[in-house]
This record gives sequence, C-alpha cells and structure tokens, in this order.
Amino acid sequence: MEEDFIFTAIQLLVSVGPLVLCGLIIGRTVEKQHFRRLDAFDAQCQDFLITQLKSFPMSVAGESAPSLVVTEVVIASDYLKSWFAKWRNLFGGELRSFQTLQIRAKREAMHRLIKSAMEQGYNAICNVRIESADVGGGTAQRKTPMAAVIATATAYHAGQDS
Amino acid sequence: MIVTNTETVAGYEIVAICGLVQGNTVRAKHAGRDIDASFKNMVGGELKGYTELLTESRREAMQRMLAQAQQLGANAVVNVRFTTSAVTSGAAELYAYGTAVTVEPSA
Repeated sequence: MEEDFIFTAIQLLVSVGPLVLCGLIIGRTVEKQHFRRLDAFDAQCQDFLITQLKSFPMSVAGESAPSLVVTEVVIASDYLKSWFAKWRNLFGGELRSFQTLQIRAKREAMHRLIKSAMEQGYNAICNVRIESADVGGGTAQRKTPMAAVIATATAYHAGQDS
Repeated sequence: MIVTNTETVAGYEIVAICGLVQGNTVRAKHAGRDIDASFKNMVGGELKGYTELLTESRREAMQRMLAQAQQLGANAVVNVRFTTSAVTSGAAELYAYGTAVTVEPSA
C-alpha cells in the first residue's frame, strides 16, 4: 500500500512537475516584468489627473470636447497559479496568486486608458469605471483561469485656471 | 458625436434629451484563440486574441448605439455603460447603452 502511494505521488510529480516549473520560472518572470512596466508608466504620468468622479474636476475649455475612452484587457493565469489555487480550495483562505493576476489586469487597463487619452491630446480622465468582463461565455467555469477587464472613462482637458 | 460616460459634458449644456440608445453584439471565439489561450495558461501573460475579441465586440456595439443616436437626431451620448454576459459557453454578449442628448456649447 505504501509503495503504491509513493508511486502515485512520484507519478503525479513527474506529470505535473514540468508544468509547475514552467509556471514558476516563466510565469514569475512575466509577472515581474509586467509590474516593472506598470510602475515605470505610473512614474511617467504624475501630472495626468485621474479621478472616478462624475463631475469634471479642474476642467478648462480645450480644443476638443470631452470624449469616451474604453480599453479591454485579458490576462491568463499561469500553471503554477492555477495549481496553487487548486490546493487553496482544500483549505480556503486568500488566493494571493489570483489577487496579483486581477490587479495586473486592472492596472494594465488603467494604463491603456491613460495612454489612449494622452494620444488624443487630453491631460485628464474622470469617471473611471473598471468592470470584469465575460469573454466567450462562462469565464468563471473555465478550466483555464483568466482575468478579463473592461475599463471606461471620460477624457477631458484640465488646468489650473477657472 | 460627443460620447462620454459622465452625466454631463464639460463646456456643454444639455438642451434636449432624446432617449435611451443601445447596441449589442454576441460574438463567439474561434478555436485558434482557444488553442493560443491554452498555451498561454501554462506560462501566463496577456491573451491578445481574447483582448481583440473584446475590442471588436465593443466597437460593434458602440457603432450600433451611435447609429440609433443619429437616427434620433442627437449630437451626443452621455452616461454610456458597458456590460457583458455569457450566452452559452463559447459566446458572450457585449451590450452598450447610454442616453442620447442634444448639447450646445455653454456660453
């Protein structure tokens, strides 16, 4: 019986091991790089005014009318994260691996909102709304977890006067 | 056409309300995107195929919404909202709705 158990354990490790290792090495690197990129961008847009107010704080008349900006992001979980989540399901508690996944998707969506507003010549966004989206039906029931986000905001011109 | 997700438009005054306008689209993802997704789920990273799918659906739904607004003779849509819902496994709906209004630059 004991041998059987050890054999099964080894079999499990051999079949799952490479994928977990793959997630551990590549997944971690991808995540770290992503966070580094997001931090760098955050440092760049210090004077860009971001609020989620429905009014237009500090708005001034610009050359163009306010405009809607919408962005969407879908980020995949890696094998290690999904594997951790399966174990977590046994004991309950916070799923840290998915927490960072969700925050990456949301920050990336914000990043793209700001970028698209900047490209159109605006220097502020208000009424930022971030929602989870459904891609291809039944996102929560999928075997392959992912974070899908759709973010909307209104871009406008802000300034010190008036 | 001015489109915002706020209730007002800075620098403009709402002079008439034309009514609710809406647009939706139901889109299926194709197998190619699923295969790409299953690979990405080992190593993590952005699922570009799915992001594109969302972007396409959103553009389509918005276009239909704006066409309705134009028919009503509005020159702006305010308080635009987006929602998604699963129809079956394999297809999702993206729904955009807002209030069509007529705006004039405030003096």
